[in-house]
Amino acid sequence: MSNLQLEIKQMIIETLDLEDISPDEIIDDEPLFVDGLGLDSIDALEIGLALQKRYGIKLKADSEDTREHFSSINALATLIESQRAS
Amino acid sequence: MIVVGVERLVRFKLQSWNAFAPGLESHHAWREWLLHPSDLSSELGKTSLKQIPPMLRRRFTELGRCAAGAALPLLEGIDTIPGVFASRHGDTPLTLSLLEGIAEGEPMSPTGFSLAVHNALSGLLSIARKDVSEVTAIAATENLIPSALIEAATQLQDHPRVLCVIYDLPLPELYKPYSDSPPFPCAVAMILSREEGDGFILQSDNGQSSDRDQSDDFMILLRLLNCLESSVAFGSSLTRSRWRISPE
Repeated sequence: MSNLQLEIKQMIIETLDLEDISPDEIIDDEPLFVDGLGLDSIDALEIGLALQKRYGIKLKADSEDTREHFSSINALATLIESQRAS
Repeated sequence: MIVVGVERLVRFKLQSWNAFAPGLESHHAWREWLLHPSDLSSELGKTSLKQIPPMLRRRFTELGRCAAGAALPLLEGIDTIPGVFASRHGDTPLTLSLLEGIAEGEPMSPTGFSLAVHNALSGLLSIARKDVSEVTAIAATENLIPSALIEAATQLQDHPRVLCVIYDLPLPELYKPYSDSPPFPCAVAMILSREEGDGFILQSDNGQSSDRDQSDDFMILLRLLNCLESSVAFGSSLTRSRWRISPE
């Protein structure tokens, strides 16, 4: 697990009140929503806000790209890295 | 049924009840405490809410845990039941924290916002129990308990039984100079029924209203539920409206 992936997991656990879940229980390439970790639409909004606060990333709620970025921890890491590079 | 006339009155049967406060979770504990009152913690402390899946449980604030702690034990074995959810002040610690965030220019938490509406708790319980029965959320500045019971008893015209949950927290310090609130988190859940249980009459009362505030209203209701009083009155000194609950 890279540092960035771990950082994202800790951010998710903290912002979504998932105290009962440890970072290593969140699998890097598994879905975060519904079938995987089991997050819901309000969690998606909360993660969007956390990305904005922490990494300065602004996402459009209705775009297909956002759906892709939120598909897994790895996808979120790719998004954050691309934002840092630009 | 509601009888229109000189007296306003509504009848209902009380099938079951349960109440929740810090350290008081059983009928026996409540009765002992009402006979020998002692100070209770102003905070709820840990609750298990094991009936709620963990991913939903994290959404329950202190007020929600208190109300659910009272209601869930009554709902075991009941798949669907309409509910009346009544709180005078609502989730004031949550709304205050959101307002403080706005004042500091912070973006608002979508979760916090969604949970701050008055019917949020009934929505969470509806999702957790997979029960799509109608819910009614009530806030009343005065006479919260009679108002909630009137609503629930009236709904017995459409449903054989109705859940009625009444709950409040102590106000945050900032608000305390402006209103009264219970000294500790408190919730009372009751299942009103057309057929089952002890019969009660709730009616407008012409007796003299006292100048006391409403922070004792939960205790008045609980004294009735624990059979320590046979008849109790709730009143507002502001509007001079009074309601009495007595056995049928």
